[in-house]
Amino acid sequence: MMKNAFAAVCAVSLLSAGAASANSLVAPGAHSGVAKSSIATTSTGEWNKLSRTDGPGVEVWTRDGDSLNKVSFFGGIGGGLPIYRERNKKEAPLPKVTANMLLPDIPVLLESTYRSQYQVNKFSLESQDIVTIEGKQAIRFTYSFVRSDDEVERKGEAIGSIVKGKLFMVTYEAPAIYFFDKDLQDFRKMAETLKF
Amino acid sequence: MSFCRRFSAVLPGIAALALAGAAHAVEPAAPVLPTYTAAYQPQTKDERGIWMEADEDERVLRDSVLLMRDEGLNAYVRQVLCREVGEDRCRSVRLYIVEVPQFNASMAPNGTMRVWTGLLLRVQNEAELASVLGHEFAHFELRHSLAGIKARRDAASLAAWIGVLSAGAANIGTGGAGNGSTLQLAVLGNYFKFSREQETAADLLGLQYMAKSPYDPAAASQIWQSIMAEADARSVARGLKPGREYKAAFFGTHPPSPERAAYLKAEADKLGKRGELRAQEYREAIRPFLPRLLAAQIRSNDFGGSEYLLQTLSATEGWTGDLLFARGELFRQRGNPRDLVTAADLFRDAIAKGYANPEAHRELGLSLMRGGQEADGKAALREYLKLKPDANDGNVIKMLVGS
Repeated sequence: MMKNAFAAVCAVSLLSAGAASANSLVAPGAHSGVAKSSIATTSTGEWNKLSRTDGPGVEVWTRDGDSLNKVSFFGGIGGGLPIYRERNKKEAPLPKVTANMLLPDIPVLLESTYRSQYQVNKFSLESQDIVTIEGKQAIRFTYSFVRSDDEVERKGEAIGSIVKGKLFMVTYEAPAIYFFDKDLQDFRKMAETLKF
Repeated sequence: MSFCRRFSAVLPGIAALALAGAAHAVEPAAPVLPTYTAAYQPQTKDERGIWMEADEDERVLRDSVLLMRDEGLNAYVRQVLCREVGEDRCRSVRLYIVEVPQFNASMAPNGTMRVWTGLLLRVQNEAELASVLGHEFAHFELRHSLAGIKARRDAASLAAWIGVLSAGAANIGTGGAGNGSTLQLAVLGNYFKFSREQETAADLLGLQYMAKSPYDPAAASQIWQSIMAEADARSVARGLKPGREYKAAFFGTHPPSPERAAYLKAEADKLGKRGELRAQEYREAIRPFLPRLLAAQIRSNDFGGSEYLLQTLSATEGWTGDLLFARGELFRQRGNPRDLVTAADLFRDAIAKGYANPEAHRELGLSLMRGGQEADGKAALREYLKLKPDANDGNVIKMLVGS
């Protein structure tokens, strides 16, 4: 009896683990409620939504794996919270969003978070501009960075804004060689239809 | 062999542990330098293996995007190493400066020395830098990597056998599993003790290099005092108990820092030598790179450690524009209302001292605007745009200014 119960528990665990690790297809078209938030966008091609969450307000889409191309949606991260789940709150805390952040503070927050969370030792902010999303001003910035674990040069393009004291941001990142350019136009089309 | 405590890097190799560690323990260095063999070649199968791996790592390192390739800086750091260990020993080293903001240096068995930029930010003078580089060279000269790999292999097989035997004992109901765990723990402990003994041996041989160099041997102890003070400042700022980063640990690969500082001081005193620190020369050599090193430190989200470093740097030559700007950034990024006031004051001080970087006006403006002082903030941002008309964030700043 005990043996059967144990087997049943194992089976349920395996099933739920399987479900938990399953990624899902993001079909072309309109999507709302992205990152469990008010973010909406329209994608032109297929993407995969990772079941892994890097934080409670984060959703990641990829085509070839998130180390090769990655769109991250940050859906209204509130004041006092980090943009990612902290791996080690005591020894390596992450910088926090503050409600009175200005738009130029957003790239700095991203850089500081990457340096702490991903051992990014080289980060270069390359351009910054203003865009408007549904009448709200947002910052559009491009950057490049290198993670110490693979030392691959990656490029990034992002749009972020502070709406009612919360951070909304979408980033696109991929290795500078080949991959960044491959999906850049699809990301830009998504960015054009973005709603926070 | 790495200079600082790299516990996380060691954990994955936890299976590789040596009971034989004590038997292989390296005796403290003799008061005279060992005979040095130039162009030494690996002698055994093990040694050829680790050299081959080190050669491959060096090929990757040579192409790394994280290398700081400035010829002047590389030549200067190399010159410090050569003064410390002597020209003949120095010729066997290829030195690479790697852009990593933490405190560390390491040396591979084939003569590859890695110096992290965090070390360059933290040492106060050439003598402190020389003591760290000399310590790493001592690992190389004592061929600790080879002894380490043997110790790990001995321990790995021993730990595995203990695991097999204790599992067998548990299966036949003798209750031997607990004993097996205890034994495995003893193997672990012995391996880390072996590693700590290697560190001590390298410390002591490093002091012998210092004794023969122009540098002051007291610097070897001083660097550990600074590292502990920085760790305490970091812990306190994070609401943690001071001392947690360097307390004695069963699994510590390096001796506890207080103990290390104490025996280095005692041994340095025995040498009875007062050498040079060359603090001014060091500051001059590092000055062109200081803004870059400080920027990486400030953005590492370590308020307490960064503030300690800035205070220490200012103690030698006062609050320069570079240091005031970095400190302003530190407070602005933390971003409490009081921090924004402090940040604005620091940026104003930097500007008053003739700090020419237009970014000071930008950061001043952003601090004031975030603190609610819009008119003054906009004025500072306009000044930034005037000084840097082609700024890559010009449109963003113009939007804030309202033009």
